[in-house]
Amino acid sequence: MSNATMRETNRLTTSRFRIAPGFVAIAIATIALFAVGGLLAPSSVSHSAIVGMLPFAAVLAIAGLGQMLVVQQGGIDLSVAGGISLAVVISTHEPAGDDSKLGPAILMAVAFAIGAGLINGILVSRLRLNSIIATLGMNALLYGAVFAVSGGTPRSTTKLLASVADGTTWGIPNAAFFAIGALVVVSVLTKKTVAGRRFEAIGANPAAARAVGLRVRVHQTLSFVWAQLLYCLAGVLLAGITNQPTAFQGDSLLLPSVAVVVLAGTSLLGGRGFPISTVIAALFLRQLQQFVLALGVDTSVQTLVQAIALAVGVALYSVNWASVRRRLITPKTSQAIPV
Amino acid sequence: MKRRSSLTAIAATVALAALALAGCSSAGTSSGGSGSGKTTHLAGAPSWCGTKKIKLAQLDGFGGNSWRLVTTASGEDEVKKCASVTSYQYANGNGDTQKSISDIQAFTAKGVDAMVVFADAGQAMLPAIRSAYKAGVVVVPYRVEVGGKAGTDYTQFVGASFVNDGVNWGKWIKSVIPSGGNLLFLSGPKGNSQGNDELKGMKSVLDDSYKFINEAPYDVTNWDPALTQTVLTAEIAKNSKIDVIVSDFGPSLVGALPVFQKSGRSIPALATSDGNALGCFWKDNQAANPDFKLFTVATGNDNVRLAVDWAVAKATGGTPPTSNTFEAPVFEDSVSSSPNPVECEANLPGDIYLSAQLPKDQQTAAINNK
Repeated sequence: MSNATMRETNRLTTSRFRIAPGFVAIAIATIALFAVGGLLAPSSVSHSAIVGMLPFAAVLAIAGLGQMLVVQQGGIDLSVAGGISLAVVISTHEPAGDDSKLGPAILMAVAFAIGAGLINGILVSRLRLNSIIATLGMNALLYGAVFAVSGGTPRSTTKLLASVADGTTWGIPNAAFFAIGALVVVSVLTKKTVAGRRFEAIGANPAAARAVGLRVRVHQTLSFVWAQLLYCLAGVLLAGITNQPTAFQGDSLLLPSVAVVVLAGTSLLGGRGFPISTVIAALFLRQLQQFVLALGVDTSVQTLVQAIALAVGVALYSVNWASVRRRLITPKTSQAIPV
Repeated sequence: MKRRSSLTAIAATVALAALALAGCSSAGTSSGGSGSGKTTHLAGAPSWCGTKKIKLAQLDGFGGNSWRLVTTASGEDEVKKCASVTSYQYANGNGDTQKSISDIQAFTAKGVDAMVVFADAGQAMLPAIRSAYKAGVVVVPYRVEVGGKAGTDYTQFVGASFVNDGVNWGKWIKSVIPSGGNLLFLSGPKGNSQGNDELKGMKSVLDDSYKFINEAPYDVTNWDPALTQTVLTAEIAKNSKIDVIVSDFGPSLVGALPVFQKSGRSIPALATSDGNALGCFWKDNQAANPDFKLFTVATGNDNVRLAVDWAVAKATGGTPPTSNTFEAPVFEDSVSSSPNPVECEANLPGDIYLSAQLPKDQQTAAINNK
């Protein structure tokens, strides 16, 4: 028994220092993308292209971090589109160009985010609803709120929000600092605090966590609240970056937010999360968009290239290549290997 | 006038009978004015306002932006000019084709006499429009083509001439860079006919010395400000020389144009459609950007007025307008200040359209009241 414990402890210790395969894959892919971009479409790695791309990568990174927290609990959050759109609408329509009203408007957006997150969390963790169904319904409710607040018409961004979200500090877009801030907060909270370690453990195996006495439902509920707060931040930034946003600005972020989580190597079944990889994946997706735009190919080809890159990126580490190799090269010996 | 309306009623009845007998719609001849004169809106008692009392409904496929709010308010304002319209109702499809179709059916059932329809879903709306028309309602779709034929599927289609916008832009581009140059043309979703028509208009004026450096026929932006910004960033990085940007949705560029300054370049000349936010952006930035000249055509909020004129004329027995196509007038030119210099109302919302006939305060009210 003590031997077994020792063995388990050793394995846990070594796994802590192992670099996640998802991180390796996405980091190599991103570096390769910049290298290929420099060769085939040099304008895609020029200073102006990167400075223009970074704010949108930052918004996607923040939304992706939110989505990651929900995915870690084995869920998926489809209310990301509604959450971002509502934050965009509130932070532009309520102040109506008046900087002094921006603060209260952002507080209002935060209140809505907490409310939406709580409802999502309770529906999924207490009432045991499937997260796809619950968050799809929440998305419709959030769009209802978008119309109730504004009639579906955001206004121009206030000058203050535009200067903060779309400005630069030391030549780096401010939005990138917000993304780094969100990354640090999420990483520290999930990796370096007791609550964060419990959060990941619950995601990996809710039944075992419940048996140990962890408050599974509280952690599951809070994952949705944190996610909505991050969507709220993404929405407020997006409102400032685009200046003249639409009421449906979040729609185009729904799929990419899930894509960056998957690209980063977080299992859709829940468990360990990879915040740094998620942020790099957001950078990868946005740079890929710049790359295909810089190539000047047709829009249909642009979409295809992005889809292929996504498929290859996921396949790189989600397929068990060692097993595939074994089966292809030595079919006989593979049967002899004990499982 | 009464005779004309009874003729319309007989025609509708005959068409309905033919449909019932043959089980399919017969090919009708296109009715209505085919003149190409300029849009006219008469002050006082307009000639399109007949004596028969009617109920009118305005339907939107998607009402969720400030342009639509101003357009809706413009339609209502036009209706008020005619006392024969006793009831005015509005429905917003919220971008949902199913709801837009059921809106038409609901208004038909309620017994409205005339409808003006902004059919965002295009041809998908034609069956609903046709059935309302066959039920005896005067139906005037406008701006977005729905297929079908006037007199068979609806009363009259009131389109907008986007070719005309392209011609106006082309002429101005020629005046600003007479010896040719690099043009960047941004439009909405891939395949949208508006962008194709505008390009046709520009090409009819500009020769080969004017090179379009965008993806053919135009860079796809979906009229989404975020995508517009991304696309413009890529084009700026790729092309060291952009002489004129052409866009059919000017205000969506306000967030994107600062990308030039971030790259240490002047914002180039811009041919587009108007918006208060854009005018104010030009005023704030033209000093620091020597190449930033601005030319706008009206965004066309008043297209709805021509549609209302047609619908009311056909339903009340008034005289229909001579034109069935709205041609957006040139609005601002920062070079010649003709017909207007660039306008900016800094203390009013950025989302109003100073080119629209609707007074500024009414536009502000329309936006603020959702």
